[in-house]
Amino acid sequence: MQEKTLGDYIITVDGISKTFPNGVCALCDFTTKIRRREVVVVIGPSGSGKSTFLRCLNGLEDIDSGSIVIDGIPLDDNKKNRLEIRKEVGMVFQLFNLFPHMTVLENVNLAQRLVRKKTKEGARQATMDLLNKVGMPEKATSYPSQLSGGQQQRVAIARALAMMPKIMLFDEATSALDPEMIGEVLDVMKTLAREGMTMVVVTHEMGFAREVSDRVIFIEEGRIVEEGTAEHFFTNPREERTKLFLSQIL
Amino acid sequence: MRRRKVKITPLDLFVVLLLVGAGLYLAYRMKVGLHYKWKWGVIPQYLFRFDQENNKWVANLLMQGLFTTIRLSVWATILATILGTVMGLFRVSQSLFKRLTGRTYVELIRNLPPLVLIFIFYFFVSDQIMPVLGVDEFVRSRSESTQAVLTFLFAPPSLFTAFLSALITLAVFEAAYITEIVRAGIQSIEKGQWEASYALGLSWWQQMRYIVLPQAMQRILPPLAGQLISTIKDSAVVSIISIPELTFQGMELMSATYLTFECWITIGVLYLILTLSLSLAVERLEIYMRRSEA
Repeated sequence: MQEKTLGDYIITVDGISKTFPNGVCALCDFTTKIRRREVVVVIGPSGSGKSTFLRCLNGLEDIDSGSIVIDGIPLDDNKKNRLEIRKEVGMVFQLFNLFPHMTVLENVNLAQRLVRKKTKEGARQATMDLLNKVGMPEKATSYPSQLSGGQQQRVAIARALAMMPKIMLFDEATSALDPEMIGEVLDVMKTLAREGMTMVVVTHEMGFAREVSDRVIFIEEGRIVEEGTAEHFFTNPREERTKLFLSQIL
Repeated sequence: MRRRKVKITPLDLFVVLLLVGAGLYLAYRMKVGLHYKWKWGVIPQYLFRFDQENNKWVANLLMQGLFTTIRLSVWATILATILGTVMGLFRVSQSLFKRLTGRTYVELIRNLPPLVLIFIFYFFVSDQIMPVLGVDEFVRSRSESTQAVLTFLFAPPSLFTAFLSALITLAVFEAAYITEIVRAGIQSIEKGQWEASYALGLSWWQQMRYIVLPQAMQRILPPLAGQLISTIKDSAVVSIISIPELTFQGMELMSATYLTFECWITIGVLYLILTLSLSLAVERLEIYMRRSEA
């Protein structure tokens, strides 16, 4: 992989905590910083808080304490700030969450029209470009239910990209897919990473981490156990807990 | 759809025989025990009568009542759907005040007997609100052709205020149930749909308007149509406030002719024709909806 230069810090997470109503600490005094163009892979056992961390970054989950700043905008109770952040942060979900009553074209057009206030023709043009990019321009008039899981997830990525976000969040984007479809989605994600998109990726795909990530964070019980390059994780992880986890998933 | 094979067990035969026996006994009791002279011949003239002046058949008492019931039910359902949708949105709103308003409304209406509600509400609406709005003068000052249209759509000028009051009362009553239908429909939409549209930067109202409501509509439509049937049945309670709908006309006819059974059986059949045909239509609708879902 060719060297890329990382930019300034675009995500600053400072000591955030979140406790679920049942008293379980999902994130405990969690701190990290992410640079522009950096690709961060978050790994950890289920229930470790990795998805919660991701969902906090665009305000899907509220934090109890601490602060999050995205590209200079504090993620607080101010609705305007939150909207600004939602516009700049794209998200891809495990279960795709495409809008089933709309065609692929309408799915990708929607936010461009409503939030970016693009013209119909402008949105359509951008949508077709994006569908080309994810390799399915011929499916523009299909409904989500007519597509395979891999195709649906690629549309979901196109839909998020249509907002021209500065950051993309991937929440186990390939976990619900049949094995033979994982590759096509990962390929799209790798392309994005190479193009310099800032990405935070929760995944179990270690191959992806090794190939494109700049940093891997291992989370357990709401805390960072260990972080470093993918290389570091595969060759000599420091913590016993990390070794155990990696031996289980590799 | 696969057709299930019909199997007849001895128990089925036994039950059928029991029912037939009960029916026969009932017929026998009516023959010997019930000293009643059936006069079915009197009833048809109250459905339609021949107008000598204009030389044509016109609807009489019972059919007029049926038409009033239909008018009342259709308008009440339309009004209740609008109010119920607004209140349903209140029920799932982010604002505590709106949620409380919706909840209070639903619980108040659903936990009162409709009759009590009608007494309170009707007299309030007809005594206090209608005069303030000046509905009566408005209708009476219209041209004859406008009045004819209003009579066709609602009620003749002399009954207009009363009809409108009954209509509003019925709508407020039914809307409480529609509120719950709408709420359930909205809440049945997967969380992921909200989250995906939130992440795309849509406002709460845009999420509701473009993502959730269109999908909820599909699920709401069948129970909503079912509520129309309920409205038809519930409309009978407004007979208590002298709206000449089917049940009220039935009471009038009974006090004039004393034909208790003929009268109420006819009324029952008229209601059944209305509600059963709608039930079948709703069943069709549900099958159709399920097909588009798959």
